Amino acid sequence: MAQVITITSGKGGVGKTTTTANLATSLAMQGQRVVAIDADIGLRNLDVVMGLENRIVYDLVDVVEGRCRTRQALIKDKRFPDNLFLLPAAQTRDKDAVTPDDMIALCNELRREFDFILIDSPAGIEGGFKNAIAPADHILIVTTPEMSAVRDADRIVGLVEAYEKSNPKLIINRIKARMVARGDMMDTPDVVEILAIDLVGIVPDDESIVVSTNRGEVAVLDRDSMAGKAYNNIANRLLGHDIPFLVLDEKQGLWAQLVNMFRTRR
Amino acid sequence: MGFLDNLFGRKQPTSSSVAKERLLTVLVHDRVHLSPHDMDEMKREIIAVIERYVEVTNPEAIEVTLTRGEATDHLKADIPLGRSRQQ
Repeated sequence: MAQVITITSGKGGVGKTTTTANLATSLAMQGQRVVAIDADIGLRNLDVVMGLENRIVYDLVDVVEGRCRTRQALIKDKRFPDNLFLLPAAQTRDKDAVTPDDMIALCNELRREFDFILIDSPAGIEGGFKNAIAPADHILIVTTPEMSAVRDADRIVGLVEAYEKSNPKLIINRIKARMVARGDMMDTPDVVEILAIDLVGIVPDDESIVVSTNRGEVAVLDRDSMAGKAYNNIANRLLGHDIPFLVLDEKQGLWAQLVNMFRTRR
Repeated sequence: MGFLDNLFGRKQPTSSSVAKERLLTVLVHDRVHLSPHDMDEMKREIIAVIERYVEVTNPEAIEVTLTRGEATDHLKADIPLGRSRQQ
């Protein structure tokens, strides 16, 4: 029986879709049977981030409205043809085309065939968000260490409680170690203290994310990507492994420090 | 003279600590669903009630604030009273 995990944030642009794509891929790399559902109807993007945008035939709304069988709408990821699938959102409809009960029924159908169902929630706290969290067994809240994102994350924590979902877990994304070191970005303990929920991962700000997204690849497949490493760690924690958090401070070698010094002076 | 300030320990608070403080204040208000406007409204009503019982010398000096505690948040009202002995 699958676990249904919803990735949400309140604020837009903090990395929900990137997080969903990376966790889904990382779990599939470990042999788990995974389906990622894009619940952002009208503004779909998980297909692009996973590099599957050219293969869409049917979408979530087609499934819900009975125009195809669920299986027909699932897009196979060629890198993991046996165990990684995407159910894309509709691009030409609005979020009212799907109800929370539809999402619960859909996930109940998929639960039998998969180990993990990851749902990429739209930003905001309206209908689309409610659809995304309705079937969730677990909720991951993504934030960045910025005031607006943390404030919105706090609102989501409150709503998650109101919908009687327990223990949302926190992912802090796009941490800039250099800014944290000079006191210009809130540190992980600050954000955890403010939101008062359990931390499941910290992800450094990493240019390789932009590059891999440009290519329709995901960072967890790139061995050199720090963000990819961070997402692999989160996936392992979801599988119940006890993995220490990455150390993101700037205690590099002397040469790197010198380079940094000259960079900041200029 | 940021450099000299740092040298003599007169540091400005970092922008991250400013962010944290501001955020904590905003969240206390968000969590009790009390906007700054409602807060002003409540303050005026509190003053009106208190003035029925005691003489408030300077209503401007009354402070009503939401503060963050360990386990609970607090609504605090600080109301300076006059010391005049006239009946």
